Amino acid sequence: MSSNASAEAHISSGDGNVHVHIASVPFYVGIFVALVFLTVLTVAVSYFDFGAANTVVAMLIATAKASLVATFFMHLRYDSLFNTLCFLAAFVFLAIFILITYDDLGHRGEVDPDYGGTVMPQTGVAAPGSMPATSATANETTGEGPPAAGSGEKK
Amino acid sequence: MTTVSETAHAGATHDDHDGHGDAHPSFLQHHFDTPAQQFAASKLGMWVFIATEILMFGGLFCAYAITRALEPQVYDQSHHFLNKILGATNTIVLLFSSLTAALAVRSAQVGKRNETSIYLVITILCACVFLVVKYFEYSHKFHLGLLPGHCFGHPGLSASVLPNGQEVGTCLRMGANPDSVTPLWVRAIDESGHEQLLPPRANMFFALYFVMTGLHGLHVIIGMSILTWVLIKNQQGKFSKAYFTPVDLGALYWHLVDLVWIYLFPLLYLVGKPE
Amino acid sequence: MAAVDIPMAPVAHAPHAHGDPDANYLTATRGIGSWLTTVDHKRIGLMYLFMVCLAFLAGGIFALLVRLELFTRGKTIMDAETYNRFFTLHGAIMVFLFIIPSIPAALGNFFLPIMIGAKDVAFPRINLLSYYIYLVGAAVALTSIVMGSVDTGWTFYTPYSLQTANSVISMTFGVFILGFSSILTGLNFIVTVHTMRAPGITWTRMPLFVWGMYATALIQVLATPVLAITLLLLIAERFFGIGIFDPKLGGDPVLFQHFFWFYSHPAVYIMIVPGMAIVSELIATFTRRAIFGQFAIAMSSIALAVLGFLVWGHHLFAAGMSEYATMIFSALTFLVAIPSGVKVFNWTATIYKGSVVWASPMLYAMAFIFLFTIGGLTGLFLGTLSVDIHLTDTYFVVAHFHYVMMGGTVIGFLGGLLYWWPKMTGKMHDEVKAKIGFVFVFVGFNTVFIPQFIMGSRGMPRRYYDYLPQFEPFHKASTIGSWILATGLFLTAYTLLEALWKGKKAPRNPWGSAGYEWMTDTPPCLANFHGSPVFTRGPYDYHLATPEELSTDDVLPADATKTGGANPKAGSGAAKDK
Repeated sequence: MSSNASAEAHISSGDGNVHVHIASVPFYVGIFVALVFLTVLTVAVSYFDFGAANTVVAMLIATAKASLVATFFMHLRYDSLFNTLCFLAAFVFLAIFILITYDDLGHRGEVDPDYGGTVMPQTGVAAPGSMPATSATANETTGEGPPAAGSGEKK
Repeated sequence: MTTVSETAHAGATHDDHDGHGDAHPSFLQHHFDTPAQQFAASKLGMWVFIATEILMFGGLFCAYAITRALEPQVYDQSHHFLNKILGATNTIVLLFSSLTAALAVRSAQVGKRNETSIYLVITILCACVFLVVKYFEYSHKFHLGLLPGHCFGHPGLSASVLPNGQEVGTCLRMGANPDSVTPLWVRAIDESGHEQLLPPRANMFFALYFVMTGLHGLHVIIGMSILTWVLIKNQQGKFSKAYFTPVDLGALYWHLVDLVWIYLFPLLYLVGKPE
Repeated sequence: MAAVDIPMAPVAHAPHAHGDPDANYLTATRGIGSWLTTVDHKRIGLMYLFMVCLAFLAGGIFALLVRLELFTRGKTIMDAETYNRFFTLHGAIMVFLFIIPSIPAALGNFFLPIMIGAKDVAFPRINLLSYYIYLVGAAVALTSIVMGSVDTGWTFYTPYSLQTANSVISMTFGVFILGFSSILTGLNFIVTVHTMRAPGITWTRMPLFVWGMYATALIQVLATPVLAITLLLLIAERFFGIGIFDPKLGGDPVLFQHFFWFYSHPAVYIMIVPGMAIVSELIATFTRRAIFGQFAIAMSSIALAVLGFLVWGHHLFAAGMSEYATMIFSALTFLVAIPSGVKVFNWTATIYKGSVVWASPMLYAMAFIFLFTIGGLTGLFLGTLSVDIHLTDTYFVVAHFHYVMMGGTVIGFLGGLLYWWPKMTGKMHDEVKAKIGFVFVFVGFNTVFIPQFIMGSRGMPRRYYDYLPQFEPFHKASTIGSWILATGLFLTAYTLLEALWKGKKAPRNPWGSAGYEWMTDTPPCLANFHGSPVFTRGPYDYHLATPEELSTDDVLPADATKTGGANPKAGSGAAKDK
């Protein structure tokens, strides 16, 4: 038959018909119970403040829940491995996008030694228009420096 | 050596089966050779589609991460404006609907038509419950004026000045020169009716709340439609032990909807810092 | 073991309504309704081809008008506001309506199933749906023209795109819809390649065109959803004033650029990888050799797909990104040049000491290597941070991307069209006219864009309506080049269309290629092959192909089992297909 053998390995026993792993009802209910438990846990944990770890804990619990749903309810456990690869690949590329963009924002306005000024939006320190005068920005015709620093942007 | 050995047929079928004697099943499309090939292709197609949905919602999560980094205080106060219990209820409802969707697939896999329909109906009803809860949440927010962008602002509050001299507006564009680059602090009314003072960019939190839950809600509606269609086809007897692919794919879409909510819920509802 | 024929029950199989599987796909069913409701990948490919050529014409006309305006300083034929709208339309139409669907949706749809021995793509109805989504998206995007027209440039940068005329929403919503067409095409290709390869077509034997389509499909599927959400957020921001991209409301305009380019950089690989894929096929055929380093080229397509996701920040070097991020992106940009280099070196190694046939598609393949190399190398200049400070937002960038997109993809597209036209239509085009057209295209293209490199490096900014006197000779040369280029393109189009009416009937294998698609009928039958094929050699194995398979005479029917004697196992080979 014209087909990719490995894609079918988990599905067909060679006769061309569809054969899948069928889990039991109690098994599915058990997964549901685990999911409810994790939900209760994540709500309970939210009443406590762990500082920066708050989000991490919440995300770990959410990922545990998502893994249960994907692996058992969505049958990834018993499917072709490539399906799992598709699923995970999406998260990998998403992670690349979020992490590098986030990283850019985190490093915005770091000290540029040529200018000696900072423009950190979060602390509201001097905006570009208010950097101290350097010889690079001096006015050539009058010999004066650039205009005095304005108030810049309030936070 | 010939490249291509073809089974020459004079104008006959374009399907060949090895000799196991099965009649060509009615659900088997003409370009597939076997039901197993068709099933594998359908599942893979659905997973590729799920990957695209993850990336689409993921963009919103990126926006969330960035705006939260820019203005963490707003998110700390978000618990005043979002009801954790309603959110948790919705989470349990969706998880339960995921269970019934998985059970619907299981029933289809063993060929139990009526059981499949029952589970599908329960799943759709759970989706309705979810939407009803969402409706209450949204209408409460409309009432309080916690809306995105231009629409943000409670009619009962007025602009004023804080003790430290900072101007306060009821809308990010009111109370100051509209061309000013200074974002204002904003007064708003929270879930329990108290007045809260929100830092600038608070509007962005509510904007993201509506865009993310709104897009998710749209997917809930789409999922309900898909499951309804599957239910109708099931009632017409189109599915069997040998062919339950649409039930499987419909349930996969529903699980995706659930997956997105699993991440939305903690990030929007549980992120506030209790005082 | 004999293959068993299972006749299909007529009621269950719509395909019978679509005609006899062994009949010529063009004539199997007749009437415009049969085309509009077809699920045959070949017909869908042709319908896409028609639309992308129309889009190319529209985008090209806008380009000619833009260049005409720039012929002299100040106003030539239009005012500045119109000029802004025209170059935006040129960009948006060319990127979203023409170049992204061009090779994958037109040629890919047609040939990918054939080249893996399948009867169709995995989801033929979704294939047709993707075509209609394309039509709807194109219509919505083009309504922006009558609603005041966008003047932001095709990149829709904030905050200007939040402040300008209304039709940003219709244009961006149209592009949003078009994105789904792209996603569905990619999804179809991935599943088809994974689940529908005929026996004998292992991953390592798969034709390089298919590898290219597969890599492109990966990018389409992973990147386009992010464009979807970017445009949705832009629309929401315009509508509600959310403030995520608007600095006046505390948002970050560079964030929009991050979002936008996370899709749009991989998008340029959606554009170039198919062009490279075609060139691999052309070079193998017209040097009558196996491609040097075939698997390396296949892997380089995948590498481009993956690495292409890591470099989007190089479009933001001067936008206000942190220095730290610019350094990371610059380093990664240098990395992404490597797979392209692998291809160029391998093609060159293939041509070296090959017996080259200078047919018109081969001329385009050679032009591709030359023009793409220039485009790619100038990309490296732009990826160098210190140099980019001077070159960014100048005509140097414009010339760079036209060299890769037009000198790369469009040249590849034209080469592919000329190569496969006989197979698709059953008619041979006039090679002399095609070669003359090529000369005009090549000379015209370089005349347009070499002056742009020079003026860019001397400071001429891009998207400017007016310019300083020292740039006038360059602009004039560039505009004259655009007329030469247009002549070449119209001549090539005429050559192809003329073939439909006056062309000689094409043989099964006019170029004497060993590729799998040449083993089918010309034009292919509805089911592509008669029965279920089994492949016993690679697509570039000229040393293994029989003289009958490579013959350019129409001596033998496509069914190679009738050659008799060439392979003693031919009789049992067919039946070994399970």
